[in-house]
Amino acid sequence: MIETWYIIICLMLITYVLLDGRNWGAGMILGLVATAQERRQVIAAIGPLWSWHEVWLVGFGGTLVAVFPKLMASAFAGYYLALFLILWSLILRGVSLEVGGHINDRMWQGFWDFVFVVSNFLLAILFGTAAGNLARGVPLDGHGDFSMAFFSDFRVRGYVGLLDWYTVSVALFAAVLMAAHGATYLVLKTEGAVHDRSETFAKYLWVAVAPLLIMVTVESRVVRPDLPGRAIHNPVLWLGLLMITVSTITLVSGRLSHREGRAFLGSNFLLVGLLTTGGAAIFPVMLHSTLSPENSLTAYSVAANPSALRFALIWWPMGLALAVAYFVFISRQYAGKVSVNRDNQGFY
Amino acid sequence: MNSAFNDPAFWSRLQFGFTLTFHYLFPQLTMGLAWFLVFWKWRALRTGDKKYNQAARFWAKIFGLNFAVGVVTGIPMEFQFGTNWADFSRFAGGVIGQTLAMEGMFAFFLESAFVGALIWGERRLGPRYHFIAAVAVALGSWLSGYFILVTNAFMQHPVGYELQADGSLGIASFSAYLLNRWAWVEFAHNQMAALVTGSFVVAAVGAFYSLRGLHTVQARLYLRAGTFVALIASLLVAFPTGDQQAKMVGNHQPVTLAAMEGRFHGGRDAGVAMIGEPNVAAQRLDNPIEVPGALSFLAYGTFQSYVRGLDQFPQDTWPDNIELLYYSFHLMITLGSAFIILMAYASFRNWRGRLESDTLLRWALMLAFPFPYIANTLGWMTAELGRQPWLIYGLFHTRDGYSKMVSSGTTIFTLIGFVGLYFVLGLLFLFLVGREIANGPDQEAVNQLVEARAA
Repeated sequence: MIETWYIIICLMLITYVLLDGRNWGAGMILGLVATAQERRQVIAAIGPLWSWHEVWLVGFGGTLVAVFPKLMASAFAGYYLALFLILWSLILRGVSLEVGGHINDRMWQGFWDFVFVVSNFLLAILFGTAAGNLARGVPLDGHGDFSMAFFSDFRVRGYVGLLDWYTVSVALFAAVLMAAHGATYLVLKTEGAVHDRSETFAKYLWVAVAPLLIMVTVESRVVRPDLPGRAIHNPVLWLGLLMITVSTITLVSGRLSHREGRAFLGSNFLLVGLLTTGGAAIFPVMLHSTLSPENSLTAYSVAANPSALRFALIWWPMGLALAVAYFVFISRQYAGKVSVNRDNQGFY
Repeated sequence: MNSAFNDPAFWSRLQFGFTLTFHYLFPQLTMGLAWFLVFWKWRALRTGDKKYNQAARFWAKIFGLNFAVGVVTGIPMEFQFGTNWADFSRFAGGVIGQTLAMEGMFAFFLESAFVGALIWGERRLGPRYHFIAAVAVALGSWLSGYFILVTNAFMQHPVGYELQADGSLGIASFSAYLLNRWAWVEFAHNQMAALVTGSFVVAAVGAFYSLRGLHTVQARLYLRAGTFVALIASLLVAFPTGDQQAKMVGNHQPVTLAAMEGRFHGGRDAGVAMIGEPNVAAQRLDNPIEVPGALSFLAYGTFQSYVRGLDQFPQDTWPDNIELLYYSFHLMITLGSAFIILMAYASFRNWRGRLESDTLLRWALMLAFPFPYIANTLGWMTAELGRQPWLIYGLFHTRDGYSKMVSSGTTIFTLIGFVGLYFVLGLLFLFLVGREIANGPDQEAVNQLVEARAA
């Protein structure tokens, strides 16, 4: 039961990263495109769906409270200030997207585009830092509590901070990866100058992802030498690695043959594969302690009581079935490339 | 330094209260407005009259702004269960987390998947699917209200739970938890109050256009629909829903009822104070003007019923801020009564065909729209202050729920951050909504564009 919930929680987080990752990536690319008209096209590609992407975080957060309440309690209180930075960035991101379209004025839209770029960049960096922290661990004490500074001595053991050489490099990797994902999305959804520009960005960004991925993998091995020995027996880890391999081939072949849908599919599954591998590698520990391994919080120690897990297993599949139905509706309604005239927060 | 400054529980309460109060300004309008959109889309389908589509188009834009601010200010609410109320989440997460997650998966997913299509997708969807999108959004917004109220109802009147071996709360009965009687009554009361806000805003915009002599057809539509719904909803807020809510408080939280009414001493023939100020130090109501027997009747059905006073309960079970609770409750009742009188008069004038020529009345309707927001806020203050000193009534103290790892200064810091951010957000919202209202529903270019494609 607890394993099932661990998988579900990971799936919800992965779905959120896939969907909102488009926004982060496209948001960062927005800072690189040239004209105001092109920026409108990028906004249109995200268009009326940003709240649909963002509510997956709400679904994830609520499910986390329901099934792993002690993890939520430790992690959210411990990461207090970092979490509020995420919350504020989310507020700025949503607001900039929504209000930017309300007044058709260059200065107005220029300002909100700027806010949009900065907040999406921050979100990619912050979620990347969070991923790094999950892998590296936090200074959990014997009560399952911790509090930590933004940074301490930039080393990865003992009383670590939010930022150290490892988490910063994971954040950098995440930002480049998400930008590549967003660029691949824009290639699929746009035409004209933005499309061509995104092609170029996607090419360079994916090329940059490869060495960064190797770097982060090696670093993870150094930071958590204990992981591979245990994870190697986990079949889900191998599934994740297989997904990375297949999706990389799909992505590269899609890019080379200019099959934009295939490339984007590959990009999505590459993210799924990476996050699955990460999730499988740390299991069953959900929050590793850098002070002492016994303090670590495992899925078994933070799970809610069995009655809560059983209850949640009744409604969750129904919720998922509905979500899939909405997803089909959305895919049909918003299929194809966007055009500025039609989708730019105007009546379409 | 005084002690409150160093009390993390106080600052976490204040932060939650502030962010929630601000957040709820937006959903209460979307929940009220959603059914106006459904109604107008339905009328447009049935009659083919363009004015209904114009109305829906105009209000959908205001709906969209509200929805966006509601989404971005809603996420901090959920996160604060972990950041500021860690020990509460540890204790009750397995129960209250269920409905928080269900709200996300059953309500928000539905609402957010269709809201873009509702606001902008009229041409792409065609009239029938656009109507369905409006229904989906309305259902989503009311469902989300229900799940949140189940969560709150559990904190007010816990049912269907069992204490587990590890000291946390588990679910003993799914149906008892989800169909908590408290949740149904609270939902009915709260949703009617949301309709009051929505209908007052619709009527206010109608009154504004009417006074200005602008958009005559639309102004008439808003005025008539707004005042009609406002009258019905204002009546339903008071009776039966508000009445049932008060009876439930009287039965399950008698000490709260005593504090709400400022009753320091028990007795038969208990009155309702129309005017009076609670003096907690002296344990009396200063300068009271009471309706004799009214409280006995309202709470327990006869004028002779015995109503307990605060002195019959241990002082550590009293709500911890009786004055604020008393004023919140009484001002809510006063405003609710004023709403009924105003809207009854407006409906009477409308029936006589005088609504659009009565300048004073239209001014009153235009300026009345902030008061439902105040009344809704006061209602929630009554519910939440009245629940104190408990986080889960009778089970878990508010004092025990906050995050021990987060210092008061840290929370003050983030609270100030929220105050600043929300101030700017509020200004921005008012500016943009004001702009939409100034632009008005008769934007020929837009309407022609949409109708040309829709046809």
